[in-house]
Amino acid sequence: MGEKKYTEEHEWVQLSGDIATVGITNHAQESLGDIVFVDLPTLGKEVKAKEELCVIESVKAASDIYSPLDGEVSEINDNLSKDASIVNQDAENEGWIFKIKLSNLEQYNTLMSLDQYLEFLDK
Amino acid sequence: MTEEALQNIYLKDFHKKNDAKFVPFAGYDMPINYKQGIINEHIHVRNHTGVFDVSHMGQILIPFNEENISALESYIPLNIKKIISNKCHYSFILNSTAGIVDDIMLSKFKFENNEFIYIVYNSSRKQILNKIFNATISNFKIFEDRCLIAIQGPESFSSISSILNLPASMNFLNIQILQYDDSNLFISRSGYTGEDGFEISISNNKAEKLISDILNINKVMLCGLGCRDSLRVEAGLSLYGNEINEDINPVQAGLSWALDKNRLQDNNLNGSEILSQELSSISSVKKIGLSPINKIMLRNQMTIHNNNKEEIGFITSGCYSPILKKSIGIGYINKLSNISEKKYVNVRDKYEEIKLEKIPFVKKNYKKGD
Repeated sequence: MGEKKYTEEHEWVQLSGDIATVGITNHAQESLGDIVFVDLPTLGKEVKAKEELCVIESVKAASDIYSPLDGEVSEINDNLSKDASIVNQDAENEGWIFKIKLSNLEQYNTLMSLDQYLEFLDK
Repeated sequence: MTEEALQNIYLKDFHKKNDAKFVPFAGYDMPINYKQGIINEHIHVRNHTGVFDVSHMGQILIPFNEENISALESYIPLNIKKIISNKCHYSFILNSTAGIVDDIMLSKFKFENNEFIYIVYNSSRKQILNKIFNATISNFKIFEDRCLIAIQGPESFSSISSILNLPASMNFLNIQILQYDDSNLFISRSGYTGEDGFEISISNNKAEKLISDILNINKVMLCGLGCRDSLRVEAGLSLYGNEINEDINPVQAGLSWALDKNRLQDNNLNGSEILSQELSSISSVKKIGLSPINKIMLRNQMTIHNNNKEEIGFITSGCYSPILKKSIGIGYINKLSNISEKKYVNVRDKYEEIKLEKIPFVKKNYKKGD
């Protein structure tokens, strides 16, 4: 697996072959507070980068989760439908939300590195 | 909305030191939760004791005299003249059409040998209410120099009886003046969570000592406004700006129990005729409790629909209930809509089925007398 990349929507993306695993960053889960439901995307759904794909409901508010890249939803994290608080406990590992089979691998390089993301957070 | 500078509550630095997360609320920078998070704080209040700083609320002390009573009775639907001392009354400030300008807690007690009316009111309504008070009553004192600390939960009495000399006779809605560290506390057995508890008005300079003393007691947790809101929704309590506002009267809001019915014959009371009519006819709206069938969240302002997807109402408060482990909501529907028909809410343009629930969603746990 490659290094994690990040989006301005506070998602992390990790590539393995042509499959990208996507979740929200630790910073995002902290600012959302207690997460109670994750409305997971439909398997097989075709998406474009920056399209709304699913919704995370925290005690405070609903937040849209965007697809970071073009492709097709190939897997979803069913554990989250039983216990959405996994995203609070371990946002950047066990709390992954969906996987996308990428249709355009080169797009991956347009995402931010960890350093770039940390700089983005400081702004 | 216009961006106005946020006001700070007196103990803001204390909350910062306790790792509070702050959000703007009713013009104040307020703690929404602390480290444990909203859900843990909520569950703690239902099982043990939680402490809230609600010093953003308005507090006013009004001399109990004929002129002031007559003015207050022109917009508060209580018989203030004959009100029982040392008891809190839930009531309203009404506008000329019986719309709710604010909901209030009103009591009468003797303080430094004089009788006073003491009113606690919403922070979001301070400007409007202070204007009304300025125009109608005299010699009153609006407390900017007192904090308001709420202690809530089934263990509240035992928690604070180790630091305060609470009379055993003090039941739900009783209010007393007690001494603490050479200062006067106004302490009422009341709150906004559906649990037993107390609200304590205390001089600013003694407030940090009091709240620290309380937090040193076993199983007491500092709690923010986040769980205060989900606790009050579970308890089915109304909030200004959500369930109530100037366009809805207490009967429509399902709060007619709080009206002194004799006052409705009194032309001196704002909107008395409208309230009498409303009580004797079928109200146009009905307050309901609801919950979704699927795992979705109900939120304020979502619309409620019938089987034909026609809009029949809206949600005034939606939240996650940590006790019922699902989303719950309070809303209004047209009185004439068919209660047994399936109902839906519009969630991001999808119609999600809901079912009606009894309000309150959890049993109230007040310490009532005989």
